[in-house]
Amino acid sequence: MPGADKETDLSERIESFLSELKRCGSGAGSLRGSAETARETTALLRRITAQARWSNAGDLMEIIRKEGRRMTAAQPSVTTVGNMVRRVLKIIREEYARSRGSTEEADQQESLHKLLTSGGSSEDNFRQHFAHLKANVIEAINELLTELEGTTDNISMQALEHIHSNEVIMTIGRSRTVEAFLKDAARKRKFHVMVAECAPFCQGHEMATSLSKEDIETTVIPDAAIFAVMSRVNKVIIGTQTVLANGGLRAVNGTHTLALAAKHHSTPLIVCAPMFKLSPQVSDTPKLSTKNFENTTTNRFGNLILSKVNAHCPVFDYVPPELITLFISNIGGNAPSYIYRLMSELYHPEDHEL
Amino acid sequence: MAGKAGKPSRPRKADKDEEEQPLQAVLVADSFNRRFFPITKDQPRALLPLANVSMIDYTLEFLTSTGVQETFVFCCWMASKIKEHLQKSKWCRPTSPNVVHVITSDLYRSLGDVLRDVDAKTLVRSDFLLVYGDVVSNIDISQALQEHKQRRSMDKNVSVMTMIFKESPPGHKTRCEDDDIIIAMDGKSKRILHYQRAQALKRLHFPMNIFHSGSDEFEIRFDLLDCHISICSPQVAELFTDNFDYQTKNDFVRGLLVNEEILGNQIHMHVTKDGYGARVSNLLMYDTVSSDTIRRWVYPITPEANFADLEGQSCTHSRHNVYRETGVSLGHGSQMEENVLIGRNTMIGANCTISNTVIGANCVIGDNVTLDRAYIWNRVHIADDVKVKQSVICDNVEVKHGVVLNEQCVLAYNVVVGPDITLPEGTVLSMHHPDEEDDEDDDEFLSDDNDVGYRKDKTKLKVFNPAEVGSEGKGYRWKTSSLEDTEEDELAECIWGEILLNQFLYHGGKLFSNLDKVMLEYNPHIAFRTVWTWKRYIKMYLKTLVEQSLYVSSQLLKKWAPVFKNYVKRPQDQLDCLASMEEVFLERETHWAALVKVLMSMYQLEILEEEGIMHWFNQGSTTDKSQQLRRNQGLLKFIQWLQEAEESSEEDE
Repeated sequence: MPGADKETDLSERIESFLSELKRCGSGAGSLRGSAETARETTALLRRITAQARWSNAGDLMEIIRKEGRRMTAAQPSVTTVGNMVRRVLKIIREEYARSRGSTEEADQQESLHKLLTSGGSSEDNFRQHFAHLKANVIEAINELLTELEGTTDNISMQALEHIHSNEVIMTIGRSRTVEAFLKDAARKRKFHVMVAECAPFCQGHEMATSLSKEDIETTVIPDAAIFAVMSRVNKVIIGTQTVLANGGLRAVNGTHTLALAAKHHSTPLIVCAPMFKLSPQVSDTPKLSTKNFENTTTNRFGNLILSKVNAHCPVFDYVPPELITLFISNIGGNAPSYIYRLMSELYHPEDHEL
Repeated sequence: MAGKAGKPSRPRKADKDEEEQPLQAVLVADSFNRRFFPITKDQPRALLPLANVSMIDYTLEFLTSTGVQETFVFCCWMASKIKEHLQKSKWCRPTSPNVVHVITSDLYRSLGDVLRDVDAKTLVRSDFLLVYGDVVSNIDISQALQEHKQRRSMDKNVSVMTMIFKESPPGHKTRCEDDDIIIAMDGKSKRILHYQRAQALKRLHFPMNIFHSGSDEFEIRFDLLDCHISICSPQVAELFTDNFDYQTKNDFVRGLLVNEEILGNQIHMHVTKDGYGARVSNLLMYDTVSSDTIRRWVYPITPEANFADLEGQSCTHSRHNVYRETGVSLGHGSQMEENVLIGRNTMIGANCTISNTVIGANCVIGDNVTLDRAYIWNRVHIADDVKVKQSVICDNVEVKHGVVLNEQCVLAYNVVVGPDITLPEGTVLSMHHPDEEDDEDDDEFLSDDNDVGYRKDKTKLKVFNPAEVGSEGKGYRWKTSSLEDTEEDELAECIWGEILLNQFLYHGGKLFSNLDKVMLEYNPHIAFRTVWTWKRYIKMYLKTLVEQSLYVSSQLLKKWAPVFKNYVKRPQDQLDCLASMEEVFLERETHWAALVKVLMSMYQLEILEEEGIMHWFNQGSTTDKSQQLRRNQGLLKFIQWLQEAEESSEEDE
């Protein structure tokens, strides 16, 4: 039966996606950038919308929420998955509201006025059936996908406004967004880039190689030299893994050091991050995210020492919003204090907790 | 290459077929030994939990992440349980990328039998991975696989197997001492030239032919740890069928190396530096691998990843490697210091100190409990004021208050340990009586749905000994000789050596028909383990002799005469023998009468000669006690008699 086949096919895809996520950190799994993850998540959600059985918006939201919970549980450190799920939920709400005919304004977030005047909880729980809802939702998700594909280009287009000739720019580790940003500026301007290598995985090396291929003068510096070199730097441009709701960052380890050094020298810190990295979490909980350090180095120490040694290798740093000057995203440049507002446009408050 | 020229079209097709073959694996879920008895009387080893996940799940996860698409799991002992577990797990879901087939048979007795079955059923079509069910690993073997395939395509089917080793310096805690191996290899082609189990060998012999293999780079390595993961070609199964006496992998490797010139098969190896791979072959390894998993050496297989997709098993990872699953409640003042994993719905009382521990689900732990390196499985009740150090506590055990478990204790399923008792190191308690297994040897392997009723009728229900398990306790104590828990080196030697000898002695040497064989059989074993001189042997024998009644001892002495004669040859040896005898008797004053008898019998059996005895007797004695010994009436008389005998024999001549 075609229906049953579709369902098993769907669950197979979800399973394989989940196992990909779980193996995402190790060497065996494919190392993917967050843009790819976002695209794949959205594509999977579109498939779920198309193939799963649902009769009204409420059901669909339940299904998506359930799958979303499974996906975020599989790999909690990859926040883009959760973000995309929330975006899709928001899309569904909007489409539902549009189908019902009520204007978008009325169903907008709770403003202070609404809190005072409206009585109690909002409208029905999405149980009405609309014939074209499915098609509308799928179309909206397609738009989201196109938006995702264009994020890097949108950000790179703003490069020329921010980078001037003969500037010294510092960055850390490897970010595809920052790479594209700098390469775009290099077409018209001449500047110098310092890349902090970001031990122990030293992704800065790859970044430097890639930049130098485009004839950008690049220097690699060890992490310890960040503060020393900072006085010569005009701007710091970094990428990040997640942008938190308060404007802070969860970025690769070493970024906090960089941000503090920049603050000390009053060097502007610019973060290039597409909107899908924006996450409703507020600040980093004490949960660690650690990767495995190559244990060869500690293997040399042998038996006695190993049992008393714990090797920690945290992957992410939290950078508080006070240290950040500007966010450059695909919808333009924003101050960190404005992030909360952007977030309210992207996600519905009820979806913050999946 | 020559073959290919003759048939242009077919080899290309064959190559294509080979590339499309899915990777297969053979997982042997039975270890064919009894290292984990009595725990494995109730549960097969592959299903024992390591960090709250069954061991076979780790192996299957390793295989799946390598890209294996079809796995054959072979089970013998308690196969139904393994089958049930696998069918409920994520490996048997239709969406699993790895298709798992479970094959059970009661007739498997060794790895050789399994591989012969593989060959008989022609299950494998191309290269396959061979692993045991208790391997925990995150090694990326794709490179080894590629090398293997390349080798086979270059030299048609000469290389039969590629073994995976991990570099690991001697003394490293993941090295299992029983598995110590010495390998001579060809540095360039990574071919194994010589393979030998080391096990504390003092001297090594390398045959000269390994140096004639035509290469100029040799390496002799002792820093390798066998991960028990091998990439085999289908020929391996055929070779096992051809040689019926190959039972273990060790046999196979040595057999191949010995017959290399005849058959031309070679074994290669791959050494990995990063990556973790270890086999849980005994309880010490269980401890090590468990703590390594908790301390994240086996990333990405970590407890919070919940790779086995078990419902409700997700846990959070906090600082100092503390993992907590859902529903855990901690009492006031309790500290989880570091490297702790707590299962779901477990309740922990107040003021507990927990470190380096794994606790299973639904446990109840009381107040003031200290847990250090403890491995506690599911539904365990621990009352207040208990101290547990480096021990394993299995499911459903109840530990009453005030109990102290010293190092290396094992409490098997359903045991109850009574209040206020301190269990000495190395205690093993189980609800199965240790003598149960002596009655039925083969039966155990054949019937795994334990006919419990039958057994109970057979053995009278033995009473629990309160000295062993406490006043409210339930369980029988297993003698350490029935387990092979490896302890610290010296302790192991003593216990092992003594017990071996004692067993032999008490059984009146019935284990071996021929005493000559004794010398051969025991010498290698004991020599490897210790630097025991034969003096110690004599001491042991004498000790036992002395303990027996007179009649028995004289019988025994007659039996052992050849053994003694073998050792006591030169005059100096005789002196040494007498010196040890002296030592033994000095410890036992009451037995001095026996000394005379022993000396007499030894003289008559021509083990000792008059000169030797006289010399010893006339030697100045250092301690008061030995002086006293020499003044013993019986001894004096004997010496006198000896002297007369001497004179008479001299007169005769």
